[in-house]
Amino acid sequence: MKKYAYLLLPAAAASALALSGPPAFLAASHPFPPPDRIREVGRSASGDALALSLGFRRLAADVWFIRLMQYYGAPPEMDGSSGPEPEFGGGTYPDFLPIARHILALDPYFTNAGLYASASLAFNLSRPAEAVSLLNEALLYHPREWRYVTLLAAIGYSKASDPAKVARLIMPLIMEPDCPVMLRQLAAFLNKKAGNYRAASLIYKTILETTRDQFYIDNARKELARLEGMQR
Amino acid sequence: MRHFISAWKIGGHSLRENYKNKFFSLFIIFAGVLIYASLLAGVMAVDEEARMLTDTGLALMELMTLAYSVLAAASAITREIETKTIYLVFSRPVSRPAYLAGKAGGLYAAAALMLGVMALLHLSLIYSRGFTPPPFYLKAVFFIWCKILMISSVTLFVSLFTTSTFSAVSIAGILWILGHFTSEAKFLIARSSGAAALALSAGAYLTPNFQLFNARDLGAAAPPPAAPGFLAAYLLVWMAAPYLFSLALFRKKEF
Repeated sequence: MKKYAYLLLPAAAASALALSGPPAFLAASHPFPPPDRIREVGRSASGDALALSLGFRRLAADVWFIRLMQYYGAPPEMDGSSGPEPEFGGGTYPDFLPIARHILALDPYFTNAGLYASASLAFNLSRPAEAVSLLNEALLYHPREWRYVTLLAAIGYSKASDPAKVARLIMPLIMEPDCPVMLRQLAAFLNKKAGNYRAASLIYKTILETTRDQFYIDNARKELARLEGMQR
Repeated sequence: MRHFISAWKIGGHSLRENYKNKFFSLFIIFAGVLIYASLLAGVMAVDEEARMLTDTGLALMELMTLAYSVLAAASAITREIETKTIYLVFSRPVSRPAYLAGKAGGLYAAAALMLGVMALLHLSLIYSRGFTPPPFYLKAVFFIWCKILMISSVTLFVSLFTTSTFSAVSIAGILWILGHFTSEAKFLIARSSGAAALALSAGAYLTPNFQLFNARDLGAAAPPPAAPGFLAAYLLVWMAAPYLFSLALFRKKEF
């Protein structure tokens, strides 16, 4: 018996491992969507599998967000749509929603991506129903995110064609330091449309101070010059 | 006390050995270059540059430390057996538990040093771009170290019964992937039944759950997967159990 005494401690360790396994696996929360929520977008399967295997969901979501911006930044002709050139931000962009869903399935806590995608869908691409469905999906895993709820309300009011009300609703969103620039741009545009030139100017100035995106900087400068002319 | 002093000395020697190792410097230089390269990725993300810079840097830090720690753990004892250095160690009044504890401690300290240097490089890059690191940054780095402690302990144990460093590294790699696959494994178990479900459950229970410590992926918004007390106990179990298994195997070896 004494001969096997040295096995007592390893046996105790094995028991500890066996006992800690089930609670670590079953009781611990896994705050991410199940893998069946991650739909393949443009041959993403191997990249997604790698991201999940190494615990790189957040990084994968970042990469897909860059891809979404590149996709949306490309001229609309590239996605096969025809006809007259649409206004800035317009166009078809059929993969916009699948890519946005993909980002939020990988990292449902990537709020800026959710806001950027839903606001683009609702206000630039005129697909509010898709924006609402995306926000509802995002709220499943991030129910306390007030910015999603505010944007949902703003989309609701936008259907009633009341730009002043929508501008007021999204005002708390744009006060957030890390608010996506695209939402600020939208708020400025809505204020301008509602005749609130002073508010619009202030928002364009905030855009100049906060973003590094040259396109938005150029646009804000142009709009500020125009607004100054209108206010005189 | 005598055992503790021996373990401390062996740990210090092991850390110096790791520190002087060419691979160690190479990994740090390589990580520095990669972290710098993450700047490029950050610039592409425009207004999400801070997030991209943080995520890429943390991911690279983890991969670099993992690669070095697993390689070092897989060869730490086997190399000393091959070069017969271990006979010199045991010709002195050094007990086997102290030797093993010292070797493991040296590996843990080397991983901490490597992570610390890379975190400093990374933080200086973040600040130089005019950003501040996210609130979960230090927690993420600490939890990366916790994961490295677990995988190093397991690799050290595995290296004692595998035939080569390569096989020990392969097993560690498989465990690392399985350990990050827990929520997916949960999904698979829920969809399977009978013997398959039992086998999957047993496999999942006996795999270290690295996802519990994946603060890097959870960020600031996601709820923590478990209470801190449970995490500490779990980490301790996954460090102590491989040590005790290694000790049982080590007893059987003739030196």
